[in-house]
Amino acid sequence: MSNWEPKIVSFLCNWCSYGAADLAGVSRMEYPPNIRVIRIPCTGRMSPKFILAAFRQGADGVWVSG
Amino acid sequence: MIAQKKYTEALEVITRTLPLPGVLGRICPHPCEDVCRRKDVDEPISICTLKRFTADQVDIDDLPLTEITPRDEKVAIIGAGPAGLTAAYFLAQDGFKVTIFEALPVAGGMLRVGIPDYRLPPDVLEKEIKWITRLGVEIKFNTALGRDITIDSLMDNGYKSVYLAVGCHANMKLNIPNEDTEGVIPGVKFLRDTALGDIKEVKGNVAIVGGGDVAIDAARSALRLGADNVSILYRRTRTEMPARAEEIEDALEEGVDIQFLMAPVEVMDKDGKAVGLKCIKMKLGAPDKSGRRRPVPVEGSEFVVDTDVIIPAIGQRTDTAFLKGSTGVDLDRWNNIDVDPVSFETTRNGVFAGGDAQTGAWIAIGAVAAGREAAISISRYLDGSDLKEGRKPIEIPQKNFNPIEKDIPKVKRAKMPRISMEARKTSFAEVERGLSDAAAVVEAKKCLNCMVCCECLECVKVCKAEALTLKTHSQKDETIEIDVGSIILTPGGEPYDPARHDTYSYTKHPNVVTSMEFERILSASGPYGGHMVRPSDHKEPKKIAWLQCIGSRDVHVGANGYCSGVCCTYAIKEAMLAKEHSSEDLDAAVFYIDIRTYGKDFERYYNRAKDELGVRFIKSKVTHIDPDEQTGMQMIRYVDETGRRVEEEFDMVVLSVGLTASMQTTAQAKKWGIDLDHYNFAGSSSFDPVQTSRPGIYACGIFQAPKDIPSSVIDSSAAAGVAGSRLAESRWTLTKTREIPDETDVRGDPPRIGVFVCRCGTNIAGIVDVPEVAEFAKDLPGVAHVEENMFSCSQDTQDKMTEVIKAHRLNRVVVAACTPKTHEPLFQETLINAGINKYLFEMANIRNQCSWVHKDDPAKATEKSKDILRMAVAKAMLQEPLSESTMEINPSVLVVGGGVSGMAAAKNLSEQGYQVFLVEKTDALGGQARHLHETWRGEDIQEYLTSLTAAVQSDDNITVFLNAEITHVDGFVGNFKTTVSCNGEDNVLEHGVTIIASGASEFKPDGYLYPEDARVVTGLELQQRFIDKDPSIEQIDTAVFVQCVGSRIPDRPYCSKVCCTQSIKSALKLKEINPQMDVFILYRDLRPYGLREDLYRRARTEGIAFIRYDSGKDLDVATEDGELKVSFTDRVLGRMMEIRPELLVLASAIVPDSKNPLAQMYKIPQNADGFFAEAHVKLRPMDFATDGVFVCGLAHAPKPIDESIVQGQAAASRAVTVLAKGVFQTSGIVAETNPAHCSSCGVCVSECPYSAPSFIEEGPFTGKTRINPVLCKGCGLCVASCRSGAIHLKGFDNDQIFAQIFALNKTG
Repeated sequence: MSNWEPKIVSFLCNWCSYGAADLAGVSRMEYPPNIRVIRIPCTGRMSPKFILAAFRQGADGVWVSG
Repeated sequence: MIAQKKYTEALEVITRTLPLPGVLGRICPHPCEDVCRRKDVDEPISICTLKRFTADQVDIDDLPLTEITPRDEKVAIIGAGPAGLTAAYFLAQDGFKVTIFEALPVAGGMLRVGIPDYRLPPDVLEKEIKWITRLGVEIKFNTALGRDITIDSLMDNGYKSVYLAVGCHANMKLNIPNEDTEGVIPGVKFLRDTALGDIKEVKGNVAIVGGGDVAIDAARSALRLGADNVSILYRRTRTEMPARAEEIEDALEEGVDIQFLMAPVEVMDKDGKAVGLKCIKMKLGAPDKSGRRRPVPVEGSEFVVDTDVIIPAIGQRTDTAFLKGSTGVDLDRWNNIDVDPVSFETTRNGVFAGGDAQTGAWIAIGAVAAGREAAISISRYLDGSDLKEGRKPIEIPQKNFNPIEKDIPKVKRAKMPRISMEARKTSFAEVERGLSDAAAVVEAKKCLNCMVCCECLECVKVCKAEALTLKTHSQKDETIEIDVGSIILTPGGEPYDPARHDTYSYTKHPNVVTSMEFERILSASGPYGGHMVRPSDHKEPKKIAWLQCIGSRDVHVGANGYCSGVCCTYAIKEAMLAKEHSSEDLDAAVFYIDIRTYGKDFERYYNRAKDELGVRFIKSKVTHIDPDEQTGMQMIRYVDETGRRVEEEFDMVVLSVGLTASMQTTAQAKKWGIDLDHYNFAGSSSFDPVQTSRPGIYACGIFQAPKDIPSSVIDSSAAAGVAGSRLAESRWTLTKTREIPDETDVRGDPPRIGVFVCRCGTNIAGIVDVPEVAEFAKDLPGVAHVEENMFSCSQDTQDKMTEVIKAHRLNRVVVAACTPKTHEPLFQETLINAGINKYLFEMANIRNQCSWVHKDDPAKATEKSKDILRMAVAKAMLQEPLSESTMEINPSVLVVGGGVSGMAAAKNLSEQGYQVFLVEKTDALGGQARHLHETWRGEDIQEYLTSLTAAVQSDDNITVFLNAEITHVDGFVGNFKTTVSCNGEDNVLEHGVTIIASGASEFKPDGYLYPEDARVVTGLELQQRFIDKDPSIEQIDTAVFVQCVGSRIPDRPYCSKVCCTQSIKSALKLKEINPQMDVFILYRDLRPYGLREDLYRRARTEGIAFIRYDSGKDLDVATEDGELKVSFTDRVLGRMMEIRPELLVLASAIVPDSKNPLAQMYKIPQNADGFFAEAHVKLRPMDFATDGVFVCGLAHAPKPIDESIVQGQAAASRAVTVLAKGVFQTSGIVAETNPAHCSSCGVCVSECPYSAPSFIEEGPFTGKTRINPVLCKGCGLCVASCRSGAIHLKGFDNDQIFAQIFALNKTG
C-alpha cells in the first residue's frame, strides 16, 4: 500500500455544511486531517475558477457542499 | 474522594477544618456516625476510621502550605491540647504570631498524657503537632499559668489576646478514708505518669474504681505494665457504664475483670501501703437527674478486695487555681471557665476559653470544634469586628438531604484488623492497624451523598477559566424581586412514564424503550455513538415495533384521557430514521389506534413512510408484551382491526409515550394563582388561547395543552405579542444605550494584523501545539502582533484584546479559536470597542474543525491549524472596512384578509401602537368563521365574531377596506407600497410590514349527489343551519357524516385537520336537537387531536356510531325510492354496508387558492398544496424568507379557530420585532454592482431569491442593475451568475477567496 494521502479542499456553505462540520467537532467525530475548509456564504457563491485554482494549488480533490 | 483514591485531596479537605486527622481518626468517639443517614440503609459509614485511613496514606508534610499573610498581633494560648492546638492552627493561618504555653514537657494535652499509646501512638500525635508548628506556632513547654506566667504578665508582654485551653487534669476524689495511702494513684495521674515514662511497671493486683474511659484506659494500661490481675469496680451495671462499648469489649477481651454494683468504702492499709479495698454491694434505685438509676448501698454487704494498687478514676475537674485572685475571668457553677456560648469569650475582654477547661471533661472533637470557634472569635476581636455577627451555637445546619434511593444493597461496616492478643497484653503497640486500601474504598463508596456536593472544591482547582472560584462556589439561592407588567409561563411538560403499567414490560427488559430513549439511541452523541443497537446485547435489531398511545387516549388509572398530539408523527419519523440507520432492511411496524398526522405536510410524511419506505402500520390493540430473556426478543400480542388475535416477535419495542403536565408545575400553578383544567393544563379559552385565568399571566407550549414544536413556537410568539400589547406604553423604558467609540479609518494603511491564538483551556491546547502555532503566526506576512489566550472569549480577555488592538495600532484581527458561527459576533464587538471596523476580522476555526476532530493525531492537527491560520491571515490582509446601511421603517402594517386571524393580528398591532390597514376582498369581515357555530369547547363563535368585528371597526388605529383587491406591490421591508383597489378606487398604502391572512375555503365536492340533492350538505353548510336554528333538523331520524371528502386523496394529500372534530361536534349537536336520531360517522382515521379527544369520548358514550370505512374501495351515494343510500365497506367486518340517512354531511377539505396572486406580488412561496410556505416549518412558522412579510391563519395551513387566532397574534408579534426597531440595519456583507461593467443581461435580477437587484431607471447608468443592500442577504448567487464580473460580494470577494486558495499550499 502506498502512503499517499490526497489533499482535499472543501468549499462549505456557511449555513449548512460549515455548520455541520462544526457539529462534527461538537459531537467529537473523527475524520482524517488532510482536508482544508474555505467558508463561503452560500454554494451559490461558488465559481468554477475557485475549483480550478484549488487544483492548480495541488489539491487532489475539491468538495463543494451546501 | 477516598472512593476515588484521591487521598491527598481528601486529606486537604479534612485539614480544612480538622488539624489533627490521624489523631481524631483514632480516638474520636465519632458522634458524627450517629447521624450518618447510611444507618437507614444498614449501618453508619465508618467516618472516623476513614479519616484515620486517609491520614495514614498521606505524609501530612506533603500537603501544600496555605499562603499566609503575616500580621503583627501576638496571641497567647494556654495549653497545647486539642483546643489549644486547633486554635493555634487557624490563628496561624490568619497570620497571627501564636505562642502556646504548655505546663507539661510534652504537647498534646490529654491526647498525649490521657490516652494510652496503644490507642494513639505518640509519633502520630507528634507528627501532626509538628505540622501545626510549621505554620509558625511556637510552643513553650514547662510553663504553667499561675506558676510561671499570668494573664496580666502575658498582656504586659504584648499579647493582644489569650486563649485558655488548660484542660481538665485534676482528679475527683473518692472521699473515703485512707485515700492518700501509698498505692493509691489517681487515674489521670496514672495515665500521665505512664505516658511520660514515670511508671514503667505495675505488680500485683490492681483495682480501678470507675466506669468511664479513664477507668478502662487505666485498666488496659495496668495490664500492659505487668499487673497480675486487673479489676474494675463500678457502682452500677454495664448498661450505665459511660465508657465506649467497644472499649469495654476490648478490655474484657484482654482479660480485665469488671465487677458491677460495688462501691469503695475504705482503703485498707498495712505499714502505710494499700493492701486492699473495702467495698460495699449496691443495688439500683430510682433514676437520678441524668436518667440513670441511682445506686443504693446494700446494708451489711461490706467485703474486702485484696489489692496492691488502687486507681480511682471517677472523674476529672478543671484545675482553676490559677484563676484565683483578680484575673477578671469568672467560673461557672461547675467550676469551669464561664464563656459566651457563641464567641467563647470569657468575662474578661480579649480572653477566650474552650476545651475541657470550659466544658468539663469531654471528647477531643468537642475541644477541636471549640478551638476553631475561638480562633474565629480571636481573629474578629483583633480585627475589631463583631464577634457574634452571623454566628450561632454549633449545630448541624443541613436539612434538605438528597433522597435515599430504594434497593441499595446492604454492605457490612468495615472492621480494622488488630494485632495479636499476646502483643496486646504485653506492649503498648497500637491495637488497631487501620483499614486496607480495598476495604477503605468499599467503605467510602457506601456514602449516600446526602449533601449532593461534598464541598471538596476540586472543581475550583481545575476550573482554569475561574468561572468557579471559592466565592462563586459558595453562592446560594437568592430571592430577587423584579417588577414586571406581565408574566409568560413556559414550563413545559414531561414525557409519560410507562413504568406505571406492567403491560409493556418497560423496566423489566432493556429492549423495551421509550421513544425518548430511542431518540438517544439514534443520536450521534447517544449511548451507542449513533449506532442503532438494542440495549440487551448491542446487536443491530432486525425488527422494531412502535406502540402508539402509551399513556394517552387512555382513561385507566395513571394514564391520560387526551391525545398527546405529537406521538404519531414522531413515531413515523423514528421509524424512517431507524430504517436509514439500519445496515439491512429493517422491518419497522407501528401499532396504532388512529394515525393522527394532522399537521402541515405531516400526511405526506406518513404516506412516504408507508408507501415508499415500507413502514408497516397495524391498526390494533396491543394486549401485552412478553420478553424472552434468552433471546432478548419481545413477543407482542395484539388484537387486529378485525378482532383476530395475533402474535409477532420483535427485537425491540419502542413505546410512543405521550406528554403530561409536570407535578412540579401543577404545584407551582397554585402559587401563580392560575386555574388548570382537569388534566392540569393552563389553556382555557379558544378565543384567547394564551391567556390564563389570571389577567397578565400567559401560558404557552405544552403547559397550555399538549402540542408539537410549531404550535409551541406560534404560541410563544402570540404570548409575547399579547404581553407586548399590555406593555406597549413602557416599550424601551428599561433599555440602556451603549457608548461606541469612534471608528478609526484604516483605509490605505498597510495591514497590521493581530493574531490571537486561543488555547480554549485544553480543548485546543490539549491536541494542537498552541505555542508552535503562535510562533508560526509571527512570520506570516502582515502580522504585527501575536498572542496566546487561555480563553479568548472570556470577558477579561476581551478587555485585554481591546487594549492590545489600541496599543499595537492593529488594523486587522485574526482569532484562531472556535467557529465564527458562534463567536464571530463576540469578537466583532471587541473590534468595535477598540475603534476599528468590525469587518476587519477573520476567524481560524482550529477547534471545531481541527482539535476536536483530530484528537488522535496532534502533529497533523498542529500542521492543519497552521494552514488554517495562514489562510485566515491571507484573507484578513485583503479585508476592507464595510458599512452597514440603515433605513427608516414605516410604522404601519398591511394585513391581507379580514378573517379571525387577520383581525386578531390587526387588533394586537393596534394595541401595540401601530397603524393597520386591513384589506378584505368580500363585503364583510369574519372569513370562514362567519359560517361556524361553536368551538369544540362549546363557545359561541358568532358572538365572539360580532364583538371582534365591532372592536376592529371602531379601532382608530385600524383602517378597514372591504370589497378590496390588491393590484400592485412595490417596495420591500420597511417601505412597502401596496395598491389596493376598493370600490373602483385605487389606494396606494405605504406600510413597513405585511401580514398575509388571506385564508382558504371549503372544498365544494363534486360527487356524492352534491349539490343536486338538498339532503347532501358540506360540514360548513350544516354549521350554517345550526346558526340559523333550522327547524327541519329536528325531523331527521338518521344522519351520516363522511370524513375526508377531498382530503387525504392523491390530488390533495393533506389532512384538513378541523373536519373530524367539527363532525363530532356537529353529531353531538344533532343528538342534542333530536336525541332519537341515529348518527353515523364514517371515517378513515379519527383525528380529534389533543384535548379534543374528550369530545370524541363523549360522542361515543352518547351513542354516535363511528365506522371505519375503506377509503380505497367504493363509497357510494345514490338515491333509491327517493331515499338516500350510502353504501361502503366496513373495515372491521370487511363487508359492504348500507345506511339510508335523511342527512348526509360531507366533511369537506379546506382548500387554498393555489394561484394566489399575492405569492407573486410579495415574492412568497406556496407549497405543493397551495398553502404559503413559511421560512422554517418548526422555528419560523409565521415568517417568510422575504423580510417583512408574515403569514397566519388558513393561508398557512388548515387549522381550527383557536389556532388561527393564536397565529394571528403571533404574526403581529413577529411584525413588531421589525417595527419596534424603527430602523432596519443590514449586514455589511452584501453584493455591489459596478455599473460600468454591467452588461444589463438581467440574470442577477431573475436569480436573486430576495429581489435585491433591480434595473436602474434613470441617470447615466439607466438599464444597468444595482443591488439594494437592505434586501441583499450576501449569498453571492448574483456574483457567480454575473457573466461580466460586474458584481462583487463584500467580505467574500474573489480576491479574498483566491487568497485563501493560494495560501493552501505554502509551506512554513
